[in-house]
Amino acid sequence: MKNVKNVHFLQIDHIVKKISKVEGVEILTSPEAYKKISWTRKFFSEKPKEGYFIWVKKQVDFPLLTCFSLNTYKAQQNLENLLIIEKGLKIKSNVICNALKENLCASHKAKGKIVLKEGAKLQYFHSHWWGPKEIVESDYEFYLGKDSQLIYNYKNTHSSKNLFFRTFIEAEKNSDLNLNINLLGRNTKVKFEEVLKLKGENSRGVIRLRLVADKHSKIEGISKIFALNKSTGHLDCQGLLIDKDSKISLIPNLVCENKKAQLTHEASIGKISEEELTYLRTRGLTEKQAIDLIVSGFLTKWT
Amino acid sequence: MLLNIKNLWVKGNAKIILKGVNLKIQKGETVALLGPNGSGKTVLAQTIAGNPKYKIIKGGIYYHHRKIDSLPPEKRTNLGIVLGWQAPPLVKGVKLEDFLKIIQKTRILNFLKPEESQLLLKELNANISGGEKKISELLQILSLKPKLVIFDEIDSGLDIKNLERIAKTIKKEIIQKKVATLFITHNGQVIKFLKPTKTLVMVDGKIICQSKDYQKILKTIKKYGYEKCKKCPFSSDRPYS
Repeated sequence: MKNVKNVHFLQIDHIVKKISKVEGVEILTSPEAYKKISWTRKFFSEKPKEGYFIWVKKQVDFPLLTCFSLNTYKAQQNLENLLIIEKGLKIKSNVICNALKENLCASHKAKGKIVLKEGAKLQYFHSHWWGPKEIVESDYEFYLGKDSQLIYNYKNTHSSKNLFFRTFIEAEKNSDLNLNINLLGRNTKVKFEEVLKLKGENSRGVIRLRLVADKHSKIEGISKIFALNKSTGHLDCQGLLIDKDSKISLIPNLVCENKKAQLTHEASIGKISEEELTYLRTRGLTEKQAIDLIVSGFLTKWT
Repeated sequence: MLLNIKNLWVKGNAKIILKGVNLKIQKGETVALLGPNGSGKTVLAQTIAGNPKYKIIKGGIYYHHRKIDSLPPEKRTNLGIVLGWQAPPLVKGVKLEDFLKIIQKTRILNFLKPEESQLLLKELNANISGGEKKISELLQILSLKPKLVIFDEIDSGLDIKNLERIAKTIKKEIIQKKVATLFITHNGQVIKFLKPTKTLVMVDGKIICQSKDYQKILKTIKKYGYEKCKKCPFSSDRPYS
């Protein structure tokens, strides 16, 4: 594991390898938090078995890094994570979930709740890097308090055999969301669901999806935006099919319950342009190098 | 002989576009190809560069006496044949600066004005002016260390000042370094600056005229238009040598 000395919470399979002490930040395992801090219980669906609890009480000027790795054949992680950012703090959080070896046939299930209190700002970078035989389920909920701001970048360029991920965001008054999902599927089946609930007045949210399906991949998803108050929401989805055996299917669902709200949506799914490919090849790149460059450009555009 | 195209027939979109093209370019030679819209000039350029969209149905392309018809575009580029695109497509998320680092065989940025350095940070061919597109193409071409450059309508969309500047750079960095060039142009603007040693006219997929005197050809086209070329008593469908 690279940069292990900078990691604030590190778990490999079921063993917590490291918890750092950070001034103004309480870092515990989820079971410990559930036991010692009674108010955390309302955030957990049941008594957690594993996972982290991070409570940011004071400003920290470096990214909080958490890492969950799989390293044993048929290991099964079942995590419940909780991150609380107190009022007015501006925090960066990097989350890495990965497999340290190929062909582990292991599974990673993670539930997370992230709470931004009034005026808090969070940049949350979530990176997945799996082997071809893993099964992954990721279910994260974000609660954006009044005047808070969340930038959530999810990047998965090494997908598992099966991936399910759900993201739920509830936005209060004047809160702001920027959700970017970058997914490259190869030999994978992906199902995802985004739900953005614009609950507070003048809340804003943009969801950008960049999906690439290659090598017999199937990516299916539904993105829902509900405007319950005067608010603005935008969904932008672009999909790229690399081979003829892959499929991307996306259902946008915009529900407006307030006449002063505005929800918009744009989407395009298609294959790589032959002209673009030939252009790069006339610059000396092989077909494979050209495809890789197009894919990486497509995925990195918003990150 | 650097490039020798013999009786080339090419099909694209189920239609025969080139109908027996013959063309020879010597090492270090500057050649101009004029023709009206839809005459097949761009198809010829793309076919030489190896665009798989165009199929050779008869004849062949020889480079250093080696037939290159079956080579993919990247191998032709590696042999030194480089195409400057007329309308280069957008490549999302790839900055010109990064792209040059990927493709470059030699570092060449010295002709950029300081205010143009912003271009390097922009996405490849995205939201840039006609002039910037030509500069971007030129930077890529030069970084590939070419032996033969095909400029497809390098003069389109450029005002006279920018055209002069591009032409000067081409002269200094390409022509004076004895790199062979083929200038494909509809209006012939660029060749006034570059003075080709041979000028050809293409109409309806055939080269019907050639002369060492580019001024004579430009004058004739200006006076009579390409329509007149078709009826010229001296035009020939015969392969020329």
